[in-house]
Amino acid sequence: MIYLDAAATTLQKPQSVARASAWAISHMASPGRGGHRPAMLAADTVFACREEAAGLFHAPEPDHVVFTMNATHALNIAIKTLVRPGDTVLISGYEHNAVTRPLAAIPDVRVKVADGALFDPRDMLRRFEEELDSDVSCVICGHVSNVFGYVLPVQEIGELCARRRTPFILDASQSAGTLPVHMDRLGADFIAMPGHKGLYGPQGTGILLCAREARTLLEGGTGSLSLLQQMPGFLPDRLEAGTHNVTGIAGLLEGLRFVRRRGEGAILAHERQLTAYCVHLLEGIGGVTVYAAPRLFCQAGVLSFRLEGMDCEEVGARLGEQGIAVRAGLHCAPTAHRTAGTLDTGTVRASFSAFNTAADAEALAAAVRRLARS
Amino acid sequence: MVYYLILCRSLTYAQRTASVLERAGIAARVLRSPKSVAGEGCGYAVKVSERRLAEALVLLNRVGLKHKGVYIAQTDGSFREVGL
Repeated sequence: MIYLDAAATTLQKPQSVARASAWAISHMASPGRGGHRPAMLAADTVFACREEAAGLFHAPEPDHVVFTMNATHALNIAIKTLVRPGDTVLISGYEHNAVTRPLAAIPDVRVKVADGALFDPRDMLRRFEEELDSDVSCVICGHVSNVFGYVLPVQEIGELCARRRTPFILDASQSAGTLPVHMDRLGADFIAMPGHKGLYGPQGTGILLCAREARTLLEGGTGSLSLLQQMPGFLPDRLEAGTHNVTGIAGLLEGLRFVRRRGEGAILAHERQLTAYCVHLLEGIGGVTVYAAPRLFCQAGVLSFRLEGMDCEEVGARLGEQGIAVRAGLHCAPTAHRTAGTLDTGTVRASFSAFNTAADAEALAAAVRRLARS
Repeated sequence: MVYYLILCRSLTYAQRTASVLERAGIAARVLRSPKSVAGEGCGYAVKVSERRLAEALVLLNRVGLKHKGVYIAQTDGSFREVGL
């Protein structure tokens, strides 16, 4: 199997991730729920993971690192803290349903879309400047489009929000682990990310970086202030009701350590190199349309393409039959496809991780070439 | 041996406290707060020796880590809050 779906989940992980999770399942109990060795082992591991994440993402303290079950869970906490019924929210034109569906669930929310052209960060910033008026109570923006790999100008958007005193939520689902996500520089109120993509942790892990107080999405036991019937007012306890996913967090800790050792910059450079090579190969095939930024100046390790005369789902299925895992369709991001003009057709997406090689890109191109000739 | 408990508001806070002390070479161990001093229910504390308590408190004050109280372990197994 040639796996090119890292934007959904990185399948190949450092071996230490599986080892840590397997060890945790038989040695660690509930953190914060006892003083015995299995509970304290779990507590130490969870804290080590908080510290590692705080270091990687420049959070002021490990308390600001909240563990969630995925990025969607983290985004729900952030959105339901900052957005009230009747509010106006400004989002980029490349958002995932993990942003748009929670907004749709809040009554009478008006969603404005900064629909800048694909791979044009200046146009995107201009659209945010136009749309960010005094009616807007919150801005939500993805760092990297999960469909096209488009790197949005989030530093500038964050600065714009700070100037206009508007809360800002960053969805770092496709950037954490490859692009710099500096909590202190971005000025975001919340930054959400999954553990199972660029951080190489297991599924069922996610992180919410909190720069402010948050509303609870779940209430329950925290192992602290047990006599109170309200959730504690301090982080991370306030947002972490119930027993943690300790096996997942143990694996995530190893994933974070892998990213730190290899370096986000080196991982990004590797993925970009593969993306550029793949774009080059696919563009040489008749009937293939590739969505790529000029010289990949604002594109991470994700690319979309279409094959003329063949439904994108059929392309995905036929590649799967040849042992190549890609994702086809709308990628849970109809907003992004609408903005880019691909809503009617969808696209086929290939996405790379630190474990892919040039041979993987060559295999994809060879398989697409065979499909184009068929 | 006489020891002190520095009471913390949460497990994570106790871990941060212990981490700061350990990095400064002060032996510090996170443990459950005794029920008699936990106040609002389940909590965690950091155990430090009598000899290093003053140094530990100065350090915690310097880095802005607040505590909920300091208790001395008495010979009969009970704990008494220490006025600072």
